[in-house]
Amino acid sequence: MSTMVPPPFDPELAAVLEVIKDVLPREFTMDDIPALRQGPGIELLAQLDLTMGGTFEVEDRPVPGPEGAPEISLLICRPKEPVRPGPLPVLYHVHGGGMVVGNNRVGVDAPLAWARELGAVVVSVEYRLAPEHPHPAPVDDVWAGLLWTAENAKEIGGDPDRIVLTGASAGGGLAAALALLARDRGGPRPLGQMLLCPMLDDRNDTPSAHQMAGLGVWDRTANETGWTALLGEQRGRADVSPYAAPARAEDLSGLPPAFLDVGSAETFRDEVVAYASRLWQAGGEAELHVWPGGFHGFDGFAPQAALSQDCRAAHVRWLRRLLGE
Amino acid sequence: MKELAGRLTAVDPDAGAAVRVIAYFDALAESRAGLEALVRAAAVLAGCPARLLDDERRVRVRVEPDGRRLDSPLPPEPCWPSAALVPGGVPALWLERPGGGEPSVVDAVILERAAGALRLVLDRTRGRAPLSPADDPALVETLLDATADEQARLHAARRLGLAVDARARVLAPLGGRPRLLVVGDPGTPGAGPHRGVPVAAVDGIEGIEGRVGVGPVVSVSDLPRSWAAARVALRFTAEGTARDPGERVVRAEDLGGLALLAESVVPGGDPPPDVRELEKAAADAPWMLATLHAVASTASLRAAATEVNVHHSTLQDRLTHAESLLGWPVRDPHGRLRLQLALTLRRLARG
Repeated sequence: MSTMVPPPFDPELAAVLEVIKDVLPREFTMDDIPALRQGPGIELLAQLDLTMGGTFEVEDRPVPGPEGAPEISLLICRPKEPVRPGPLPVLYHVHGGGMVVGNNRVGVDAPLAWARELGAVVVSVEYRLAPEHPHPAPVDDVWAGLLWTAENAKEIGGDPDRIVLTGASAGGGLAAALALLARDRGGPRPLGQMLLCPMLDDRNDTPSAHQMAGLGVWDRTANETGWTALLGEQRGRADVSPYAAPARAEDLSGLPPAFLDVGSAETFRDEVVAYASRLWQAGGEAELHVWPGGFHGFDGFAPQAALSQDCRAAHVRWLRRLLGE
Repeated sequence: MKELAGRLTAVDPDAGAAVRVIAYFDALAESRAGLEALVRAAAVLAGCPARLLDDERRVRVRVEPDGRRLDSPLPPEPCWPSAALVPGGVPALWLERPGGGEPSVVDAVILERAAGALRLVLDRTRGRAPLSPADDPALVETLLDATADEQARLHAARRLGLAVDARARVLAPLGGRPRLLVVGDPGTPGAGPHRGVPVAAVDGIEGIEGRVGVGPVVSVSDLPRSWAAARVALRFTAEGTARDPGERVVRAEDLGGLALLAESVVPGGDPPPDVRELEKAAADAPWMLATLHAVASTASLRAAATEVNVHHSTLQDRLTHAESLLGWPVRDPHGRLRLQLALTLRRLARG
């Protein structure tokens, strides 16, 4: 590594970081997990208007979990007055939270906004969290939710052939894992995978991971905490499952079209760029955005910033092209 | 790890809100955010549209509380909370808060912080508004400071509205601040006198009262040299009175080797012997200095007599008297040069 100088944050985002830094998980350890789960972020999200001003009909639906495991809860948001008749595309959302925190409300405002614009059903899956429930519990839960969604799509007004996987951060990693599972197990065929600043690689050893140590949101220490919670001592070792850490997959062919994005100033930059490159190398279709000066999850923390607006516009444009809407 | 912390949305008017507002604008200023980002910050923090209107600099930015830039053709309502960019200035930043009345504490803090940050960005990026450059001696000081690095001087030039390729000279008025005189073809954009910069007409220093040293025309980055030369030239000027005859305006380019004399004479120090003789002679007759100056600065004694408005024979009588007091002839070439030098050294030796 020739230099450890980190790329600068975007000016607007730097200011946001300054204001929110005290409540941010930056260098975050296992001991901080309970405090983060109780933190103000989760509380704020509980106040989210899931109906988006009456656009959606909202339901919390318990569905069967993985074999021998408890039920899981799906948050299902259906347009009350669909823009067109017939089954709608389904945005299957996996929340973020470093594998250790969060619930199916976290970050769901983004897919709800897309669904409002494009006319789609949103399904957001709850999953068991590490370290109490290490791998494969989280990915098994989101897989079970995907199976239910595909099998029962018609009942919720959805089209089982037009399911788009989406998630940010840990949710992006789990969405990527779902695409691998769907290919390998011959399950539902998702139409696309939308991997937003995804958490893909348990090795946690890229130049960007080192460069951004102690900076921004979710630095190398926090990332190690998340992966260790999920994988225990296996983290970083030779035989980690690609369904836990999709960057470990040796074969990235035969996957649905992907949208990937990441900030230039975050831990995940290099692993996301590498994943996109490997998708192309495997003959796949992928659109990659590296947002200059973006920290991890910047568009969620600062949706009004100019860079966030461009980022969110890119999400909708990709979906529109994918869905042909 | 998205969205686990509170988002930056409209702040509640609680005790911590003002602190948060201040921290946010401080951070924006520190990271050198632009106008739109600052207006957006005001809109996002206030939870209502914010707009910046600076007619002088033709800047219009309006941002919705969701961060989108959306200009409006309608003028601002007088009842909206607003702030000026400079103390006592006209309102330039508004929060589109319908209903009017006294702004809340948080709105007032948002307006104050945003206006302060906007002013700095506007000054930095668009140049100072008219009227202010003349009132900013610090910028001119930087521009003319030979010890400031070139980047700093060029930056100051831009803020003063000088084109990078402009050519200018510096004037050094006695007891006044340095004046910039931009020269060039007025038809060439950027080369002519710029609005906001206090310049007299090209090639003219009319309108400047009193003694003035005029520096040479140089490029913008070379202005410290013009300023130094102008200050040297100023020492060669005179009031143009009987007690202090001589040129009120001296151009550095015209001094030639005489400029070297300035280095050898300390103002206010012990005058050289010839100057002491000159002072003695001056004390003897009120016409002395003006007459000697006329002899030293005109082409002939006849011209000198005309200059001081006396008959040729009167001039001859005066010079005979003067030569006896000075102790050297002033009517031969060598004596005339010595007289010229003595008069010049006298100006240089003034405190």
